[in-house]
Amino acid sequence: MIFQVITIHIRHQRGGVFHLRIPLLLVWLLLLPVALLLLPVIFIACLVRRVDPFRALSAFAQILGALKGTHVEVGDGDSSVLIDIT
Amino acid sequence: MNENRMKILQMLATGQVTADEAERLIAALEKEPPASPATDGSESRPKSKPKYLRVVVDPEKDNSGGPRGPKVNIRVPVQLLRAGVRLGSLIPVQARSQVNDAMREHGVQFDLSQLKPENLEDLIDHLNDLTVDVDDKDIKVRVFCE
Repeated sequence: MIFQVITIHIRHQRGGVFHLRIPLLLVWLLLLPVALLLLPVIFIACLVRRVDPFRALSAFAQILGALKGTHVEVGDGDSSVLIDIT
Repeated sequence: MNENRMKILQMLATGQVTADEAERLIAALEKEPPASPATDGSESRPKSKPKYLRVVVDPEKDNSGGPRGPKVNIRVPVQLLRAGVRLGSLIPVQARSQVNDAMREHGVQFDLSQLKPENLEDLIDHLNDLTVDVDDKDIKVRVFCE
């Protein structure tokens, strides 16, 4: 299943905190028409590059699906960056 | 009849517990899960496949109590490796040879065309046993699967 929420948390050395939690359901719904419009372009580009378009789309979908559970957290002193995909 | 139940009945017979208490004790015994034949963990269970590749970097603390370096905590789903290899198999042959040449220039003798999804399954199966521990005076690095 595709990921639903991205959390981005940035803490600055000066003390500022930026916290963003994006529920992606709306984003996916908005991107769906764009993806449908781009589909023929991707198809043609794949054919030009001699890549199987179905395999390419399948691999891309698998990458999107596999991103769920990714967690990256890097901190140094008072500053830190956290990206969590759930 | 098992040993515990026999003890409870003996306690009831000698009047150490009432009939109600004995009934409750027996009911509690019945709720307990049966003991496994090998309780020392020696029996080999099928290993579950790893779900995540973890990279953890823990800096040691300096004299002032602050960390001596950056702290890193990364969790990458193993499924992402699979998807990446599938995407890699789509790389056109010309581009693949260019990537191989570039890696060879940097001293990495690796052929991308040899990386196939079935090979990756073997690799992932063996990742379960992988643990890399690096202990330095300033920093500790751990790479493992969970």
